[in-house]
Amino acid sequence: MEIQLLWWHWMVLGMLLMLAEIFVPSFTIFWFGLAGLVVAVLLWLAPELAISWQVVIWALASIGFTIAWFRFFKPTMTDRTKAGLSREAVVGEIGQVIRDPQDGRRGVVRFSLPLLGDDEWEFVTTEELKVGDRVVVVDVSGNTLVVAKKGN
Amino acid sequence: MEGLIIAVIFAILVLVTISLGVRLVPQGYKYVVQRLGKYHKTLGPGLNIIIPYVDTVAYKVTTKDIVLDIPSQDVITKDNVVIIANAVAYINIVTPEKAVYGVENYTLAIQTLVQTSLRSIVGEMELDDALSSRDQIKAKLKASISDDIADWGITLKTVEIQDINPSPTMQKAMEEQAAAERLRRATVTKADGEKQAAILQAEGRFEASKRDAQAKIVLAQASQQAIEKVAQAIQEKELPVVYLLGEKYIEAVKGLSESPNGKTILLPADIPAAVRGIMGAMGK
Repeated sequence: MEIQLLWWHWMVLGMLLMLAEIFVPSFTIFWFGLAGLVVAVLLWLAPELAISWQVVIWALASIGFTIAWFRFFKPTMTDRTKAGLSREAVVGEIGQVIRDPQDGRRGVVRFSLPLLGDDEWEFVTTEELKVGDRVVVVDVSGNTLVVAKKGN
Repeated sequence: MEGLIIAVIFAILVLVTISLGVRLVPQGYKYVVQRLGKYHKTLGPGLNIIIPYVDTVAYKVTTKDIVLDIPSQDVITKDNVVIIANAVAYINIVTPEKAVYGVENYTLAIQTLVQTSLRSIVGEMELDDALSSRDQIKAKLKASISDDIADWGITLKTVEIQDINPSPTMQKAMEEQAAAERLRRATVTKADGEKQAAILQAEGRFEASKRDAQAKIVLAQASQQAIEKVAQAIQEKELPVVYLLGEKYIEAVKGLSESPNGKTILLPADIPAAVRGIMGAMGK
């Protein structure tokens, strides 16, 4: 079982794995490919490295890249769209109370821009609210919003 | 040799572990993650990491609007008419974990809910109201359903009544009623026309006879005046009148002789006497 792995074998493997990412979009194979390139560079510098060590280095480099990605790059990737995310699009929006909740009747809040296709929503709250108060959406419960008074 | 086997197995372990731990959630979806069988968290779109072997993605839920077709059903209105109604509902899953854990099959649940609500709302309406007030039905439907689905983390965006039709037998009866109504109107219109025509005709006749009568009176007055004038003109001079009459008489006889069927003409021998006879009393 004398397989002679040359540095360019790792190079090719690494590139193939990175290419496979295009067809299998899971974002896991990419790091294995990147690790393959690292092993290729090491092997080019030190051609005497044992095969088992090459494999171990490849595996460790993969772990390293994965962790590094989530540690350093993920935090910089902020969500740029709320398309299709109803809850995220609604929570945090600020509206004005146009009917205050009384006697078990729900209040109505109006937004300057329509939320989910409607600019007036019924709401429930635990706070005392008057008509004209500005409120911030905390949660969605069916077709009713849960709001809190917006502190100025 | 053992070193190589261990290294390869280690590499496989790493590969499997990383692919289990990294989850790429496409936009428009949310993944519900369970940690050892219990709900843990919900993954949003983008790159996510979960603890391999411990966390599993239990449900993949779409956050896009879902179109729910509400199948047609027979609904009985307040005045006992069977109508067939169907609708279409647009729902959006706002809180995926509530939707997957709160109800077994949310599409079926909401479909059934819309069906029963539609039936109860239409059941309180008369046929004509039900057919003409779709918007009202829509609003009531939305209000009655939204509270029920609140626990499931689902928002009902709109519900539209697609078709609301009387049943075939009812439709036939309604058509017949409409046809009969039109027929009735046609008959009335026709009778009305006939009546008007008769009245107008009678009026025409009445007017005509009135004028005829007037004409006769005028004619009689004219004759009276003419005779008076002639009588005045004649006074004692009988001869010129007799002469004129004789001339006319001969002309009339001439006219008779010229007519195609008058072959025999009898001329009186004493023309002045004949004329005098015709004139009668006028001669004085």
